Amino acid sequence: MNRKRRAVFSGVACVLGLMLAVQFQTTNNPVTRDTRDTWELRADLEKEKQRQQDLNNEIKKYQALLDNYEQSRKKEKIEAMQKALDDLKEEAGLTEMSGQGIVITIEPFNEGEMPKVYPELIRRLINELNRYDAKDISVDGQRIITTTPIREVNGETYINNQPISSFPIEIKVLSDDAQKLQNKIIASESAEDFVRENLFIDSKPENQLTLPAYDKPIRVKYMKQAKEEL
Amino acid sequence: MWLPVLALIIGLVLGFLSEIRIPLEYSNYLSIAVLAALDTLFGGIRAHLQGNFEDKVFISGFFFNILLAAALAYLGVHLGIDLYLAAIFAFGVRLFNNIAVIRRLVISKWSDSRKKS
Repeated sequence: MNRKRRAVFSGVACVLGLMLAVQFQTTNNPVTRDTRDTWELRADLEKEKQRQQDLNNEIKKYQALLDNYEQSRKKEKIEAMQKALDDLKEEAGLTEMSGQGIVITIEPFNEGEMPKVYPELIRRLINELNRYDAKDISVDGQRIITTTPIREVNGETYINNQPISSFPIEIKVLSDDAQKLQNKIIASESAEDFVRENLFIDSKPENQLTLPAYDKPIRVKYMKQAKEEL
Repeated sequence: MWLPVLALIIGLVLGFLSEIRIPLEYSNYLSIAVLAALDTLFGGIRAHLQGNFEDKVFISGFFFNILLAAALAYLGVHLGIDLYLAAIFAFGVRLFNNIAVIRRLVISKWSDSRKKS
């Protein structure tokens, strides 16, 4: 191999090696650029602080519970457990709840043909209610819990596997600030969606509302122990 | 013979030390360019063993193939056709061919030298 040829081969091999190395590095640990600006960073920091506080509160809560278990006598231990269980049941929606809130009624907009209440409408309304800080919701006497299915079966809308009744459909919502919730519902997107589907929603605040408990067994199929994300 | 291998290693080391990384969107183009470069290199080795090596053809082939492959991939992205597959196919087939020819040449050389001795 003469000199020039050797040099040419070496140059090409060097370039190839460089490209291989760059490609290797790129595929193995790709560039992830941090594109957050000052405000986003601040918001993220705030979020992390909030999370820290929440975690601390949780630790405190469980510490208190633990102290309670350790200090008290057997009878009181059972009481403490009972209380924890009741709290959890309340959170899961297995108890009746009462308080101030609003009652939303869904009715046909025009007399005559009966419009259909599509599950998507109710789902959107519930999402919107939750966005406006609703605490507990029941639709047509069915308590809405985390796993409540709202779906269409054979052209009929089912909630908690119960067909929805005829008009007027009542939605009860508990909230700390009923007046504010009502105002938001009047101006909400879902209200317009309902009108588009030839339905009319009306809401009025109530001082004393009682929501039924969720009375069916809760199927836990895909639940896993929560992992703290890093 | 050892100088190109050494240069390859130098290139690899340089690449790893410099920690250059390209955005993920462009890694497709680089991968195809790497393939083109490999193909040209093996083509060069084959030509050298067969005795019809030409510097100009080799160098121009190296850069032209890389550019053509990347351009083909780029065109493919904009046309919505996976044109880079054409480049991968062509280069892949040629790579195998070249390596097979190189292998034959080396083996025949080796057996020749054994016969002589």
